[in-house]
Amino acid sequence: MSKENGEKLNVTVRSNTKDLFAFTKLVPNRKKRIEKASSEPIREDPINDLAWKLHPERQFLKIDEIKEETKSTKTFKLIPDPDSVTKELAYFRPGQYISLKVDLEGVRITRPYSIASSPKNALKGFYEITIRKEENGFLTDFIWDNWKVGTKVESSGPEGFFYYERLRDLTQIVGIAGGSGITPFRSMVKAIIDGTIDAKLTLLYGSSEEDDIIYYDEFKELEKKYSKKIKVVHVLSCEKVTLEGSELGFLTSDIIEKYCDVNNSSFFICGPQVMYNFVEKELEKFNLSHKRVRREAFGEIKEILSNPDFPQDVADKVFKIKTHIGSLIKEIPAKATESVLVALERANLNPPSKCRSGECGFCRSLLISGDVYISPVSDWRKAGDKKFNYFHPCASYPITDLEVKIPRIL
Amino acid sequence: MSDENIEQAISETYDVVVIGAGNGGLSATAFLAQKGVKVLCLEQHNLPGGVATSFVRGRFEFETSLHELASYGPQSNKGSIRTMFEDKLNLDTEFVQVPEAFRLILTEPGEEMDVTMPFGVDNFIDTIEKEVPGSKESVEKFFLVAKEIRDAFSYIGKSKGKPDQNILFKEYSNFLKTAAYSVTEVENALEIPEKAQKILNAYWAYLGLPMSRMNFTLFASMVLVYAEKGGWIPKNRSHGFTSAFDAKIREFGGRIEYHTRVDKILVEGGKVVGVETTNGDKIKTNYIISNASPTLTYNKLIYPQSEVPEIAYKDVNARIHGLTGFVVYVGLDATAKELGLHEYGYFIMETMDTDEAYDSWTKLQAPKGLACVVLNNAVPDCSPPGTCMLDITTLYRPEAWKDVKPEEYVDIKNKLAEELIIKFEKATGTSLRNHIEEIEIATPATFARYLKLYNGIFYGYEPESWDSIIPRLNMMGKDVYIEGLEFAGGFNRRAHGYSSSLSDGLISAQITLGKLLQEDGKA
Repeated sequence: MSKENGEKLNVTVRSNTKDLFAFTKLVPNRKKRIEKASSEPIREDPINDLAWKLHPERQFLKIDEIKEETKSTKTFKLIPDPDSVTKELAYFRPGQYISLKVDLEGVRITRPYSIASSPKNALKGFYEITIRKEENGFLTDFIWDNWKVGTKVESSGPEGFFYYERLRDLTQIVGIAGGSGITPFRSMVKAIIDGTIDAKLTLLYGSSEEDDIIYYDEFKELEKKYSKKIKVVHVLSCEKVTLEGSELGFLTSDIIEKYCDVNNSSFFICGPQVMYNFVEKELEKFNLSHKRVRREAFGEIKEILSNPDFPQDVADKVFKIKTHIGSLIKEIPAKATESVLVALERANLNPPSKCRSGECGFCRSLLISGDVYISPVSDWRKAGDKKFNYFHPCASYPITDLEVKIPRIL
Repeated sequence: MSDENIEQAISETYDVVVIGAGNGGLSATAFLAQKGVKVLCLEQHNLPGGVATSFVRGRFEFETSLHELASYGPQSNKGSIRTMFEDKLNLDTEFVQVPEAFRLILTEPGEEMDVTMPFGVDNFIDTIEKEVPGSKESVEKFFLVAKEIRDAFSYIGKSKGKPDQNILFKEYSNFLKTAAYSVTEVENALEIPEKAQKILNAYWAYLGLPMSRMNFTLFASMVLVYAEKGGWIPKNRSHGFTSAFDAKIREFGGRIEYHTRVDKILVEGGKVVGVETTNGDKIKTNYIISNASPTLTYNKLIYPQSEVPEIAYKDVNARIHGLTGFVVYVGLDATAKELGLHEYGYFIMETMDTDEAYDSWTKLQAPKGLACVVLNNAVPDCSPPGTCMLDITTLYRPEAWKDVKPEEYVDIKNKLAEELIIKFEKATGTSLRNHIEEIEIATPATFARYLKLYNGIFYGYEPESWDSIIPRLNMMGKDVYIEGLEFAGGFNRRAHGYSSSLSDGLISAQITLGKLLQEDGKA
């Protein structure tokens, strides 16, 4: 575009003189405005206050009550530690978890536990979590021995994406739970009953023993009282079943079809890894779209060797990880069959972590050299991280010696 | 503090500490590292980029905030950002051009308009002429003035901030004469028809203040740079280029520490002497480039507080803090084509009276202006086959959200998101509801949570004429209230936006390098 006839464009807003004068006044005006402004510091920041209430970086809790839930499970009622800065508990969405920090004789590790109580309970000042004692479980042995009423526990804020979202999900929810995977559904059940969630829930709950079903009596009662909103079907993999109205066997497509309107439901699955492997295959028969099936992250992969693409030849190896953390450089041992995060925790480096499933990215670290195995099901890395060798230690297994740079905890 | 934390604490001395790895912090750190300066960038989040990042939900990696990068341009017509990325820093990134400037859908009864604008100044003018016959001459003038402004800035830059007044008056008189006016004032003076103004002003949301208050110089420069150089988007979301920065900074010998929150900038006798972090680091330095806003830096970081001069508070309080936002990110299990969404960027406005639209952002209600992006229409393989990603963005004044209680939060954000989705569906004639596979909603509290921005505000101080880039640049150096403290980013001299923040970081780094060299010279 050329200037017409070579004549220079001449824009006038008010008048030639006024326009130029206005230009010369810009800086003096700005100085004047600044000089005239208040010199009071700004103290209020309501949006950060809201963000902090919703997502506190830490919550300092105290065990207020312990209930023997079944022969292998306990429910812990957690309240704000009155001696701490935590005065109220963060509100959450039913299905979310908190990551607890446990000091195991000097080694600090984290574990994610779904909140089993209703969000409304958080407003009243408590969360409940239910933990099952694992056989030879280092952590749960410790908890059983040490956690008493009054024990203090440090927690993250509520985390995770395993929740009902009305803009996405259908109002008929099918929950498929196995073992202690029932806990987020207890929160959902309570939230449905108290009106926090407007949906119906059919729970297909797999347990291995009749006398070790978590929340059995509680759910029976709620089902009776709120039969239009809640239905619970127990699916038992033991040899004989005496409980009325329960199913013997596994969470098969037949059982799912028997109790659910498969094509008009949103499925939520939470349980141990073996259950996922089984249920996923069963659900394949229905050819459901991705949006109809939500899965809770199942924590660290327990038997990494059972992953067919895991390089079996390194199974017995212990590698070295040269770790940079802040100003510290430390060489630590790491078993091929344990995640890099576990090696970092064993070495007492106090690395950050939350979900321990590869999902949340909180432990994101730099792989300076070496190779790790990452299971495709726990690979939630961003494209840029894959390209520039960032990885999630909680979902990565060393298959050579490594050099890594990890972030510190905040 | 535990023993491990003490072992891990950083106690080295650095030439420069950069606070925050947002766009401005990254470019500043990269520049200094490249020059061999011993530089440490401290970032409280575990990712680089600040708002320039991405997040993963299910099968989708969503772009957090970038709609289109300005000043990038094609290889044949490089903009300043492409020059920075490719020629100065040699960043390992890939950008693609978005297909059209924007589609403006105005839904105001009686004033309806649906126009898709192409890139290229001539195409842009011709398309407006088609919509508004008789507008061509006046819109041409808009671009002529915009070009004069661009050339004036380039001349001022080359003169190292000491332009010859005679040349300014002779060659760039329109730059001078429009500098103190709002967009509305200049567009009216140019006699641009009202309907043509509506199209021309569609980009307003990228700066986020009404045309009656927005400085013309800044706005016209932005429109011109998009029209001339196109809009660009990174292939791997913003995290693709911010993680490339991270890699390059390390390659240059610079250092970034994530999960490291500065809580004190130590000042003695009006001079920066160091920083302390919540991680227990005690770092000595005489130079800080703060990618945190002056608002946050003066009110929360300077220690002791008595070292904050009165003028610094006044400076912050005189400015008008900009906007925060609200974004609905949707992963859909249908392709853009199947949904009938053929454009990349949509401005959906219930009114192009920007005062009225801005006013709608002061209340906790569904706003009257949306900026939406269908990323797959620029980066087809950004999500799995058979899917596409959409984001619907709007803005808010933070006050609108200040009384929200945690227990109402999800309901409020869902209700607003739903209204936004419905507005989008109505305007474009599509139907999304049965295709939502993933949905995430970012609110002002989300931006506060991850970025720790004052009141969640991600746009900097509003560039009204008195506080637009000309007076800001003119006062450069005079606004250094604490020796050794520079700022970088969207709250600084070039105002907000990705390209402004990235360029600003470079300038702040250059200034700091100059001071370091001067000091060396003295020694």
